[in-house]
Amino acid sequence: MPWLEFLDVLISGLTNGAVYALMAVGLTLIYGVSKAFNFAYGSFYSLGGYLAWIILVPLGLWGGYATVFVLAVPLLLGIGFLTEKAVVAPLRARADWEIKVMMLTLGLALCLDNLYQVVFGPRMKSLPAIVEGSLELGGVIVSNQNLGIFFLSIGGMLSFRWLLNHSRVGMAVRAVAQNPQGARIVGIPEKTIFAATFAISTAMVGAGGILLTQKYFVSPTGGWDILVKSWVITAFGGMGSIQGALYAAFILGLMEAFVGYWFGMSWVLFAMFGLLLGTLVVRPQGLMGKWG
Amino acid sequence: MLKVEHLTKRFGELVAVDDLSFHVLPGQIFGIAGPNGAGKSTVYNLISGHYDYQGTIRFNGREITGLPPHRIARIGIARTFQTPQTFPSLTVERSVGVGSRFGSTKGFRHGHVNQIIRFMGLRSCRRMMSGALNLLDKKKLMIGAALASRPRLLMLDEPMAGSNPVEIRELMELIRRINQEMGITVVIIEHFMKVLTELADHLLILESGRQICAGPPDEVTRDPEVVNCYLGDSYAESA
Repeated sequence: MPWLEFLDVLISGLTNGAVYALMAVGLTLIYGVSKAFNFAYGSFYSLGGYLAWIILVPLGLWGGYATVFVLAVPLLLGIGFLTEKAVVAPLRARADWEIKVMMLTLGLALCLDNLYQVVFGPRMKSLPAIVEGSLELGGVIVSNQNLGIFFLSIGGMLSFRWLLNHSRVGMAVRAVAQNPQGARIVGIPEKTIFAATFAISTAMVGAGGILLTQKYFVSPTGGWDILVKSWVITAFGGMGSIQGALYAAFILGLMEAFVGYWFGMSWVLFAMFGLLLGTLVVRPQGLMGKWG
Repeated sequence: MLKVEHLTKRFGELVAVDDLSFHVLPGQIFGIAGPNGAGKSTVYNLISGHYDYQGTIRFNGREITGLPPHRIARIGIARTFQTPQTFPSLTVERSVGVGSRFGSTKGFRHGHVNQIIRFMGLRSCRRMMSGALNLLDKKKLMIGAALASRPRLLMLDEPMAGSNPVEIRELMELIRRINQEMGITVVIIEHFMKVLTELADHLLILESGRQICAGPPDEVTRDPEVVNCYLGDSYAESA
């Protein structure tokens, strides 16, 4: 493999890894805090893409992607919060609630995808690039779009890290994730924190949708691929481990780029599942997960 | 301060708490004892809002029936569990800070957190992860996080469980200081009767969810029904 092509593929893998990290960490967060499996996660990815499309194409609002993030992220937070309160929270007190949440979010995903099809049509929508042009770095041509996606994803991850470590909500989220009973008795409103977690993860996958769909288009069912990849990353990194999800996202992002380059994109999911199965055979708890 | 009236809790056919009434006075150390399955911890779970129930519970004249656990914590009732409930990946300082930040209506005060850490004797391990502490320090941390929420009533659930005699002495002294120096009313569930008779001003003995005796410790430990149902003849003879 020529050196310049290697660098090109590496940059593409890191870019994908950064966006996957943003999205998989959101999914890991929900599971780590509330033990809920959200099968509508991919549909919120598409929602992020469609919100960006509405703001940029039919409305054509001034400010480009800055306006998209300013308007879409609070909206996604609100939608996530209300979805948890309306769909997940009522089930939590019931027996086998985890299975019921899986089934209901699966139903929600199907409803949302069909809603997108009715509202936006079955054809894919394209979005303008976040930054036009390209840069030459040591002989490698890197598109500004890829650089923009990479740095915004890293920015998103750093914001999330700050939120988790230094904000009041973040401290409550960590306390509930580590010990829900202990959190309740020191005055943390556990149910509100579950909804806040769902809201944060919806905003993260939606932001991922805004970033990736301008590279790969928006379509009503485009979120399923993201859902599968996010789950693979979450399981590979270790269920509920945010650090594990980060490592797994970059490993799988790089693997996707190199497998795609050498064998073609149709082998990417096959390779991802192969790596996941191989890892789970040797280390059933994933890279950084814990038993129990 | 705490007034429990006609408290009843059923789990299906099982009556865990049966028409129980009692009254905790301000400044008291109020002990609750009884055989396993008597309903002691269930009473705590009901007071702290973990289950719904029949009957009424009033705290400082305000009815708290039906309030969720976090609201009960914020109005001044803190509780601990028999197994220490700590946050394993938070430092001691941050864990106490969680209590101060969320449980107290006065909000987070760094000075208050430091004061609690010193009071609990956890200064040397303030930067350690809670999960790395030994059992005694985990218990102290759980009590410390509860105290950081500035409670007026502290409910301790078998704080001596799993402790050796030296640790029991240390915890007893700590509980006495919490009551006397901080002016916090304490309710304590304990199996070690010697601990209760030394610490408590008032004892309530439960059996099958019902009160079988209540009063000053020296009277309660001589009550024939308490000796028969819970203490046994050997305790009565040694006392």
